[in-house]
Amino acid sequence: MTAATTAPTSIAAQAVHATKVYGSGDTAVRALDDLSAEFGTGQYSAIMGPSGSGKSTLMHCMAGLDTLTDGQVFIGGTDLSELSEKELTQLRREKVGFVFQAFNLVPTLDAQENITLPMDLGGSAYDDGWVDTVIDTVGLRDRLEHRPAELSGGQQQRVAVARAMASRPEIIFADEPTGNLDSKTGHEILDFMRSAVDDFGQTIVMVTHDPMAASYSDRVVFLADGRIVDEMLEPTAERVLDKMKQLGE
Amino acid sequence: MFRTTFKNLRARKRRLLTTALAVTIGVAFMAGTLVIADTISRTFDDLFADATEGIDAAVRGSQSIDVDFGPEARNPVPETLVAQIAELDGAAAVEGQVSGYAQFLDKDDEPVGNPGTGAPTLGFNWNEVPELNPFELTDGGPPSGAGEVVIDRGTARDGGFAVGDTIAVLTQAGRGDFTVTGIVTFGGQDRPAGATTALFETTTAQDLVGEPGTFQEIAVVAGEGVSEEDLVTQIQAIAPAGVEVLTGEQYTEDSQNQVQEGLSFFNTFLLVFAGIALFVGSFIIYNTFNILVAQRTGELGLLRALGASRRQVFGSVILEATIVGVIAGVIGLVLGIGLASLLKLAMAGLGIELPGGAPVVTVRTAITALATGMVITVLAALVPARRAGAVPPLVALRQRSVEDRALPRRRTIAGGVVTAIGLASLGYGLWGEPGNAIQFVGLGALVTFIGVALLAPVLASPFVKGVGGLIAKLRGTPAALAEKNALRNPRRTSATASALMIGVGLVGFITIFAASTKASIDKTIDDAFTGDLVVASGTFGFGGLPPEVADEIAALPEIDLVSGMRFGPARVDGEDTGVVAVNTDQMARLADIGISEGSADDFGVSSFGIHEDVAEEKGWELGTPVTIEFVDTGAQTFTVDVIYSENALAGPWFIDTAAFEANYAQQFDAQIYASLTEGASLAKARESVEEIVDPYPAAEVQDQEEYTEATAGQIDQLLGLVYLLLVFAVIIAVIGISNTLALSIYERTHELGLLRAVGMTRQQMRSSIRWESVMIALFGTILGLTVGLVFGWAVVSALADEGFSVFQAPVSQLVVIALLAALAGVIASLRPARRAAKLDMLEAIMTE
Repeated sequence: MTAATTAPTSIAAQAVHATKVYGSGDTAVRALDDLSAEFGTGQYSAIMGPSGSGKSTLMHCMAGLDTLTDGQVFIGGTDLSELSEKELTQLRREKVGFVFQAFNLVPTLDAQENITLPMDLGGSAYDDGWVDTVIDTVGLRDRLEHRPAELSGGQQQRVAVARAMASRPEIIFADEPTGNLDSKTGHEILDFMRSAVDDFGQTIVMVTHDPMAASYSDRVVFLADGRIVDEMLEPTAERVLDKMKQLGE
Repeated sequence: MFRTTFKNLRARKRRLLTTALAVTIGVAFMAGTLVIADTISRTFDDLFADATEGIDAAVRGSQSIDVDFGPEARNPVPETLVAQIAELDGAAAVEGQVSGYAQFLDKDDEPVGNPGTGAPTLGFNWNEVPELNPFELTDGGPPSGAGEVVIDRGTARDGGFAVGDTIAVLTQAGRGDFTVTGIVTFGGQDRPAGATTALFETTTAQDLVGEPGTFQEIAVVAGEGVSEEDLVTQIQAIAPAGVEVLTGEQYTEDSQNQVQEGLSFFNTFLLVFAGIALFVGSFIIYNTFNILVAQRTGELGLLRALGASRRQVFGSVILEATIVGVIAGVIGLVLGIGLASLLKLAMAGLGIELPGGAPVVTVRTAITALATGMVITVLAALVPARRAGAVPPLVALRQRSVEDRALPRRRTIAGGVVTAIGLASLGYGLWGEPGNAIQFVGLGALVTFIGVALLAPVLASPFVKGVGGLIAKLRGTPAALAEKNALRNPRRTSATASALMIGVGLVGFITIFAASTKASIDKTIDDAFTGDLVVASGTFGFGGLPPEVADEIAALPEIDLVSGMRFGPARVDGEDTGVVAVNTDQMARLADIGISEGSADDFGVSSFGIHEDVAEEKGWELGTPVTIEFVDTGAQTFTVDVIYSENALAGPWFIDTAAFEANYAQQFDAQIYASLTEGASLAKARESVEEIVDPYPAAEVQDQEEYTEATAGQIDQLLGLVYLLLVFAVIIAVIGISNTLALSIYERTHELGLLRAVGMTRQQMRSSIRWESVMIALFGTILGLTVGLVFGWAVVSALADEGFSVFQAPVSQLVVIALLAALAGVIASLRPARRAAKLDMLEAIMTE
């Protein structure tokens, strides 16, 4: 974790005056409140904050899973608010990778099929060499023909990471990727993600509430009440924990 | 938390409704049949009660022959009896009744009404006694001379006839022109039950529609203070032999009963389809409850862990089924009433105008509909409910598994055994040469059906892998996912497909059976009929062409041989049936009926020709005396003089035209067969014949090919109706597929959200669900068609002795059925696919 990785050369994803309001009138909840943030290319960012701080909402809106009430979100140079539903889907398929907390995989497909699913859906030819590299990186060579039900939780998450990387997306969003794993397996997954950034220059944005997980990132953004309240470069678990206590979680 | 519960409830309310829908259609069909039957019989009861209100005693022939088609036949009553009854103290008024065939022609010389496909066209005598006349004059006055007629208001309205106009009427005396003197209604109806009515002065009526010197019935009005019974006793004292006397009350009841009997075939026919619909519906219910139980396994396990007994869990599912059943019953009843009105409209469109009046919904109909809905639903839910009760408490603590790939061995074995038994019975019927082959074949077919339904889960995997795999290769990832989803739970897939299998199996069977029947008819007629021209009267047993027509045709120089064919009711060897009469010496040369014993040359007035099957069955041989009873002449002894092998034209037995003339009052040719003189031109002969039959617009001149086509064409009419009714079974199956898919999608909510997140477009989502539906539908269809094909072949083979000489599987039609089934799959997927595509992605991903 050198200082060089914290100085992005370009911006992979960006939120500009992002506002998200759920409901209306008296019951309206302001999940994102005029929030602006940038996530650099080749950077491993973590988003933290107490429950209801808007961290998941921010991730969903940035990833094109949800739409903003006001403001803009950019992936690369693309303004998501200007995309049609179909274009958004295509963007998620080609430019974004996902790792969710659990049940990341389609149960009827085997590991290999799950990894190539986004590209198969796109119907385009893909880079076999790269897919092989990814599979070897996450160490799944001998599990390719297993279905998710035949894989352990950690193996399932490794397939999910492989899927996210396989299409060489501009950015990977990970939502509590280790939330359902024991700490040893969790570390393995975090190591993979770290090496994806270090070895292949992958951009990753990860939502987490685990200071340990956050310590793997280059930069932590702290949210509260839909706003960025603080930022930390080269985080360690202790420092993040202190900060979280300070924020009153 | 409250919100999810509420949402769940709302989702379940809809699910409850769609589940109920599967049974609802069957119940609606049944309720509709009952309602329309009650409505028709109530209306007719009222009509007859009104029409016969003034009759205190009725006199009619005591000889009756009840045939399957038309009203029962009776011997006539002598005219002289009217005057004798009039002299009795107890009789205030008396009048003879005449009725028979009379067909109006409209101003374009087209027949009004067609008794072959619709309501009868009737002629009566005009009753002078007001109490005995059920008709009400709305215009003009009664007929008074030979050239006058009173017509029903329906004919007057449709044909644009008014009092003073001339109208042409076809009767047994041929075509005649009459002056319209009056227009009538019957019980307020313009044309009750669609029957047209011509009313003539009595002597004219006897000539045209009856028999001179006789009446069909005599109606009597009692004098002041004379009871019906007393009047009957007085009449009986003077009545000659062969006459019976009924009180007015008995007479009314008898008329009403005859209508009921006439309707019973129609009712049974519709109820059979209601039964099929309910059977298919029960598959859907079974499947739906199975899925619901599987989905709620965790919840049920929790209930068990918290102390609910097996019985309570079982009971809760049965309770739910009962509620669904009651809903289905109530909606079915309401829909049934609507369906009855619709059916009435449809029949009116076909020219069968049913009398008006509000639909009659009896307590019986209501109870039957509700009970059927409930019983079918609860029965179908029994197995799923037991499965629910068997959920162990521990399941609540484990993660539930959607996939259920294991196939129960017991079921597979049972399916194999049942199929084997069915096939064995089929085979025995076909090759074991038992006396009643068709029964073994029929039973075998039914048993095999059930066996295949039991085996379907085993067949589902290879089928989906084969066909689905092929589709997946061609159509990409969404289709590949569809294939995997259809394979996910073979039991569910096959239960869903089985519902469709039944409908398609029946459609396939009927299609093959009908095609084979037509092909067999074609072949038999080709083989048997060696003549050149046929005149079809187009009146289907109600009247026909007067004998003069055949005589005139015979007189043509271009024509060599001529034979009319007449039909009449008769009691042959104690059995109420009918006989055919032909000009034997000519017919034997016009058609090859395969005379194996005896000769047609000296076939006389008491000769009887029988088919060899009849000879075998009855043990009759040449020279055996056979008693045939006729209503007009009573019991007559005939002698078997000819035994033949081809029954396509002659049926089981025939007598000579001379014998028919000796024993029947009315003489009509239903068909006339003719052959050309050596070297005569067919076109010219046809022209001449057409000129002769020109006054009979219902009649049609056909050459051999047209005759074959027309005969086989009758099958198509029936086929159309059967298809229409089977469509309901298919609709239910489609609802079933839709229902299953909707439930499966509900189970897969998270997965669908995930797919959308990683880049599946809405269109791909819809396409994937559509393909899954198509694969299920194709599976059901292919199973159904296979089963239908085997049965069609088996039944046709079993009936080979009955004249089914040709087996034909119409490939193009079967392919169309398969394509339609695929289309049905697409339609079934529409709603679930739309719902899946509209899924809120984020909410779906959060769902576990």
